[in-house]
Amino acid sequence: MSYSGTGPGQVVSFENVSKHYGSLKAVDGLSLDLRKGETVALLGPNGAGKSTSLDMLLALRKPTSGKIKMFGSDPYHAVKSGQVGAMLQSGGLMPEVTVRELVTLVTGLHPRPVPVDTTLRRAGVAQIAEQRVDRLSGGQTQRVRFALAIVGDVDLIVLDEPTTAMDVETRRLFWASMKEEVAEGKTLLFATHYLEEADQAADRILVINRGRLLADGTPAEIKARAGAKQLSFRLGGVDEPFLLGLPGLVSLEIRNDVVHIQSRDSDATLYALLDAGYRPKEVEIGSLGLEQAFIAITAEDDRSNAAEPVAGETAS
Amino acid sequence: MQGTLLLAQTEFNRLRRNRRYFLFTLALPVVLYLIVAKQGKSAYGVDFSAYYMVAMATLGAFSGALNGNAIRISEERKLGWIRQLRLTPLPANGYVVAKLLVSMATTIPSIVIVFLLGYFYGGVRMAAWEWIVVGIVVWLGSMIFAALAVAIGYRFPPDQVQPITALIFFGFAILGGVWFPLSGGLQKIGEVTPTYEAVKISTDVIGGTSVPIGLIAGLMIWLLIFAGLAVLSVRATAETV
Repeated sequence: MSYSGTGPGQVVSFENVSKHYGSLKAVDGLSLDLRKGETVALLGPNGAGKSTSLDMLLALRKPTSGKIKMFGSDPYHAVKSGQVGAMLQSGGLMPEVTVRELVTLVTGLHPRPVPVDTTLRRAGVAQIAEQRVDRLSGGQTQRVRFALAIVGDVDLIVLDEPTTAMDVETRRLFWASMKEEVAEGKTLLFATHYLEEADQAADRILVINRGRLLADGTPAEIKARAGAKQLSFRLGGVDEPFLLGLPGLVSLEIRNDVVHIQSRDSDATLYALLDAGYRPKEVEIGSLGLEQAFIAITAEDDRSNAAEPVAGETAS
Repeated sequence: MQGTLLLAQTEFNRLRRNRRYFLFTLALPVVLYLIVAKQGKSAYGVDFSAYYMVAMATLGAFSGALNGNAIRISEERKLGWIRQLRLTPLPANGYVVAKLLVSMATTIPSIVIVFLLGYFYGGVRMAAWEWIVVGIVVWLGSMIFAALAVAIGYRFPPDQVQPITALIFFGFAILGGVWFPLSGGLQKIGEVTPTYEAVKISTDVIGGTSVPIGLIAGLMIWLLIFAGLAVLSVRATAETV
């Protein structure tokens, strides 16, 4: 899916967007588009350019080059007309007021406000509404931040690592209330480093690394891209050249008499092995998880970039 | 503008719970006035108690505008609250405008209390229009320091703001003749400070002498300088706030 111009249902588009800090390319020629009603995960290792991309989308930073559009206008006007609700890691809360006072204030700034009690309930902060904002725990603060992202009837919700500092139960509640929002036809874009979260919550995943888009597809497509299935078995006296010639093989690893094969077509690989007269024991075939897929995709990118190191990376 | 007023209103409610604000802007000038007002005979051509009333009103108004705002802006920038507001439909300048409005509003009680003290304790008497003019001079003068507070708060982290504002404020307070009336060489230096200009305009009004145009122009120039610095600070930090 590449950039396809402003079309119907298009919520966000990045057209060859770059953000450079001196010689460091935080975002490097990023092109993507989001359509109405999608739940999209932005996935990438630390320093991949996720936060910078979201900052530019929300008009907090200006791209060095390229163009970003939101609802057909520039990001600043989309934000100021109340079309987008956002929750950033770097966003803070006004101290010395209660949760209810803060949510009431931000609701009052919105052209299409949602009733304060609805917001408090959806964000799971109704019980702490009368507490002071500066006396909350990390997880509670995070939920108040989320409340501020949904005070208005917005069309797009942008969340940067929303469930950081939340415990397992809170995280489950969070995604349940998020589904309520999405069910109303809202578009959701979230950055995360919890891969299972991207797998479960998103219907589309964008993998970025070194400020560039590496993969764009459904969780199943992303997993498939990294080389499909893992085939393992025990086989004494293996013939390595023969195994390397098996159909569909992507990689081969032999430890003593245990063989691990990554294969694009695990059925064909296994049948060819059996047809050649081998009788492997303890055969296991499993999917590569999203995590392995993600590591495979970004590792491949890092390898192909090793010849031309990006400035700034030497420091890490 | 509606959103900006709503923010200002919330800020105002919040400030009412802040003890530091009351200590500096309300209590300190009152205490000092009670101690010092009757220690002299005259200054700048008016009764000492009248001069000191103006000086203490200036102290309270200016310290509220500078100390209170600078540290809060700096803290709120560090917390990310200013950034959070940028993600809302609040106009881009709404945060700063709300801060200035609240500063203007909270300065009024500190001026009124010192004036009441001047009337009842210090025995200061003047025409109704003179009370109003002097009050407005001090009130508008505090805008200069509110602008400076924005410039400092956007530029420096909270731990640096405290010493910077203290240095600036006490410098302007002493050189401006707020602690004690100036004379000699110190007055030559102090005459260009906004604090001196605000106090001297007021005592000239009280004393019935004509106010030199230079003093009024001086205040305007300070306002322009600090407002300019504020705009530069806000712009310089646009991508990191």
